[in-house]
Amino acid sequence: MANLSIPAIRERLFNTSRHEQTTQRSTNPFAASTFKGNVLTADVFESSTKQSQPIFTGKLKASALVGSISGIGERFQNIINSVVQFGTKIKENVVNGWNKLEGIEISFNPLKERMTSAYNSVKEVMSTSISDLMTTGISAKSVAKMEDMTAARKLLEDNVAIWEAA
Amino acid sequence: MVDKRTVKNVTNIIEGLGVNPSSESVSILEDIGTNSKVDAIREMTSRALVKRNEHDSLSVVITNKGKGINDMSTVVAMSTINELLSLQDKTEAMKILEDTVEMHSDEEVRDNARSVKALMALS
Repeated sequence: MANLSIPAIRERLFNTSRHEQTTQRSTNPFAASTFKGNVLTADVFESSTKQSQPIFTGKLKASALVGSISGIGERFQNIINSVVQFGTKIKENVVNGWNKLEGIEISFNPLKERMTSAYNSVKEVMSTSISDLMTTGISAKSVAKMEDMTAARKLLEDNVAIWEAA
Repeated sequence: MVDKRTVKNVTNIIEGLGVNPSSESVSILEDIGTNSKVDAIREMTSRALVKRNEHDSLSVVITNKGKGINDMSTVVAMSTINELLSLQDKTEAMKILEDTVEMHSDEEVRDNARSVKALMALS
């Protein structure tokens, strides 16, 4: 910084030639040419080496990191909460739907009767076909083991006759 | 139109008689199966008799006019020949075919037996 005492100011105002040497030491590139070093002697320009960004200390960085992590955790917690809420909602809907279905099944008797009738008819068809297979079906294995060949002849005659009559 | 159950029953009976150890099963198949008016029954019976691969059963489908390889139906005859060609052991079939070619009274049966014998020799 320049010396701003009263004698020094007086010296700089009225004896400019002597002061030129001091002004040239300034980092101001316009000091000699434009202002001739008379007025602006102080270094008003920012140094090129001066850092514009503040340097964060370790503690600051750590606190920022912790803040960001805690923020993520909070968001994550929110996501979890929303998922849990969603699941709970689905569950409630399913339970409500089931209760509704039960209510319909109990209250809507015609449908219930029709369903029962359909179920019984399906069951009847299934049981009939299975019983037919079990009772009247002739397996090759049983014929291969037959010892009564008269019965075997009769069996073939009857079935061939049915086929030929068809 | 014959129902599926009847078809299944006849098929199973013929198949069962084809593997029944009783010799009478061959005569049952010959009397009822090969004399049926239904081509499918005759075809099934002929195949069952060939699969049995016995002298009596093979004689039925080789030496009888109108049965087996001599059947009026081409499908039945060709199916019987195909079954003969599929036999693992053709010894008995070849022997019956040779005897038929040499000694059978009917010329058509002899010609058929000669043709089938030639096919079996090539297979």
